[in-house]
Amino acid sequence: MSLQLLAVEATPLAISPWSLLPLVIGLVIIGLLAILGKVPVRYNLRNLQVRWRTTIMTALAFTLVIGLNTVMLAFVNGMYKLTQGSGQPGNVMVLSEGATDEAFSNLGFSDIGDIELQTGVLRDEANQPLVSRETYVVVNQPVRIRLPGRPRGRFTQVRGIDDAAMSARVHNLELYDGGEWITREGVRAVGEGQEAIQAVIGEGLAREIGRDRPPEELAKAKNPERLDVGETFPLGGRTWLVVGVIKYSGSTFDSEVWAKRDIIGKMFGKPSYTSLVLRTADAAEAKKLEYFFNNDFAKASVQAYRETEYFEALAETTKQFLVSIIFVTIVMAVGGVFGVMNTMFAAVAQRAKDIGVLRILGFSRLDVQASFLLESLAIALIGGSLGCVLGCFAHGWQSASILSRNEPGSSKFVVLELLVSGDIIAAGLAVALIIGLIGGILPSIRATLIRPLESLR
Amino acid sequence: MKFLLLILKNVRRNLLRSSLTALGTMALVLVVTLVWSLLAFLDQITSEKKQNLKAIVSERWQFPSQMPFSYAETLADGAAREPTDVKPLDSMTWQFFGGVLDKENVTRDTRMFAFAMEPRKLVTMMDELDSLPVDQKRDLEAIVEKMEINRQAIAMGKDWLRILGKRIGDRITLYGLNYRGIDLEFEIVGVFPPGRYDKSVVMNRDYLNGEVDKWPREHNGQQHPMADRRLGLVWLRVPDMNAYSQVADQIENSPLYSSPTLKCETASSGIASFLDAYRDLIWGMRWLLTPACLVSLSLVIANAISISVRERRKELAVMKVLGFRPLQILVLVLGESLLLGVTAGFVAAGLTWYGVNYIVGGMPFPIAFFPRFYINDGALWWGPAIGGLAALLGSIGPAWSACTVKVTDVFSKVT
Repeated sequence: MSLQLLAVEATPLAISPWSLLPLVIGLVIIGLLAILGKVPVRYNLRNLQVRWRTTIMTALAFTLVIGLNTVMLAFVNGMYKLTQGSGQPGNVMVLSEGATDEAFSNLGFSDIGDIELQTGVLRDEANQPLVSRETYVVVNQPVRIRLPGRPRGRFTQVRGIDDAAMSARVHNLELYDGGEWITREGVRAVGEGQEAIQAVIGEGLAREIGRDRPPEELAKAKNPERLDVGETFPLGGRTWLVVGVIKYSGSTFDSEVWAKRDIIGKMFGKPSYTSLVLRTADAAEAKKLEYFFNNDFAKASVQAYRETEYFEALAETTKQFLVSIIFVTIVMAVGGVFGVMNTMFAAVAQRAKDIGVLRILGFSRLDVQASFLLESLAIALIGGSLGCVLGCFAHGWQSASILSRNEPGSSKFVVLELLVSGDIIAAGLAVALIIGLIGGILPSIRATLIRPLESLR
Repeated sequence: MKFLLLILKNVRRNLLRSSLTALGTMALVLVVTLVWSLLAFLDQITSEKKQNLKAIVSERWQFPSQMPFSYAETLADGAAREPTDVKPLDSMTWQFFGGVLDKENVTRDTRMFAFAMEPRKLVTMMDELDSLPVDQKRDLEAIVEKMEINRQAIAMGKDWLRILGKRIGDRITLYGLNYRGIDLEFEIVGVFPPGRYDKSVVMNRDYLNGEVDKWPREHNGQQHPMADRRLGLVWLRVPDMNAYSQVADQIENSPLYSSPTLKCETASSGIASFLDAYRDLIWGMRWLLTPACLVSLSLVIANAISISVRERRKELAVMKVLGFRPLQILVLVLGESLLLGVTAGFVAAGLTWYGVNYIVGGMPFPIAFFPRFYINDGALWWGPAIGGLAALLGSIGPAWSACTVKVTDVFSKVT
């Protein structure tokens, strides 16, 4: 299964043709076996019922393998969706030359104007270029409530922006009701001569930091699930005030704190911009602008990336996780194959007399083979379906992870949602049927080799 | 002894079933062994040591840390000012030079990040390199000596050597990325022992610092933008937790480090912070994947044993008539299952240990900055333990069923 088969669509009903194909083939095989095999299907169902303990144990093994596979693929799907959702097709991200990540980029102030005024960059109603000027830093944030087994700090992604509303427009982000974007001052009085830095925070990070609240604060909190507007948190030795929570967007921005750039720059020793994100009309224009900056722009040394490609490159770890999951699934499936084979060989041995009678009654070897293969596939389908159903409960679970292109400093801590898609369910069922088929083929061949008269002796 | 022979005979009675059960067991034990090795390694590096600790000094707030190199000298002494202050046993500085091998073709394989440090510290401070076997240590010492003599010497892991298609003695040029305008030419003088540093590259910090320091002479007195930000980390070796606490206190409260301010944490604590992002993944491996494998394993064995018991009801009834007690029959069935489970578990774990550690050279898994993981030596007893435990759990039911077979029920059926 390639990353392409992990669908962007989150709804379980959306299945791509490629994922559907193996499942359809498996179901067609079952259908053909049931229809063309002359042994009544009732015989197989009755056998599954009579030997219910063995049926349950074998099916349960399928349930575990497929259920686990579904959850693991949902995790990878969530990571993939995050990288896809983080970039806008029409956006171009400009970094300093040679910088592979925003964290290592330093754009000169004098270059900004030239970059923003290039042809292709859209303008808003006030004829201002649709550009987000940003300074990206990663900050060590001590964890207030240290739970057993949890570390003392986390790495928090902070994005300093000049104009929050403009940046939100460029990145297509909205706030939950009750929140507001950062004002020009960037700070707000929080009583007794104290000043707090205004911050807009992604929902995923709001949940993470929300867990840091001591019990007495949690008891009084507006929203016990996450940090909300009006609440404060410590970062970089200062107090920060949440003025808005970014609506869940399925992007890396859900795991960031936004604040005024000049405050961030001074606090963390990064006075320059790290990136400019320019909005163009569409993906084609973005490609043209990217080419221009990388090849023809002579006024400054910059590196441009289409935002979608920049974030897709962070899927390097996602690919590695997928390879690991496929490996684990294959190994567990091999275990499952031997388990099914055991069950079916025993079934053939125990029903040798039945097979003899069936042969004497006129059923051919192929009919007998089809019957046993059908039984094996039926157990696989029942167990696999149950596994998919159980795996679906993981849909929507939140999980922390890291996106990275496997280079130092290119990691982004993210909070993602596990996404069970139709493709994953189809893949799970297909895997179950493959295990059932491989596990059942040899025993079914063994069944055809039973001599009727010898079995009845 | 006769009992054992009986168990062996029963296992051999249906070789096909025993083999399939063993193979199924081996597949699942393989998965558990891989996962537990990974978890054991992560647990080991994040658990606080009591003695011979490493402390990591870095910027308090920003990541990655970028401190002035002027901090290095006083940090090497643990910021000790008073006679009663504690000094570390050893120290090392870490600087990071990122460059590209081909300016026209910037890809992952042409981007290289080198660690700049004092070469001597490779043998005294680096994990695993400070405890090598004699012959490997000798080779590493030779590399260190070359790097001390020649500032442009560079050492790298075998993976990089393969990617570059170079050999020892060849020269490479790195065109600076994070140190814009500084291009460094190196001579490859050695390869790290296979293992943790296969993807690492180490250079002499004096070379980098020399180039940064001479920048103003060539650029009208202007400092390089990275001049005051070139020190990444400082590692300090301290004897115990008491000494660590004192050194940490000395550093964090020292007036010498105000811009930027610093923090000091143990190596395990620092790594734990890094690994926190993977906590859900680690939780899933520990509490979902492993139990699922163990339950599947139990089911595979339970299935096989229950089929076996069902087929041998008459034989078990005859055994009871001959005087075998229920407990003996229970032990017989459990024994068969344990023999299968323990043997298959041992073989699976052994093959995994050997295959991953000596043939494949470690399992690559994208967690933090660790390129590869190796199978823990403990796997050699985990395998039989997992197989045995799963066999026990899976066969308890069928064994009980076997020992409670009613002789009258079995022989009263007309066949």
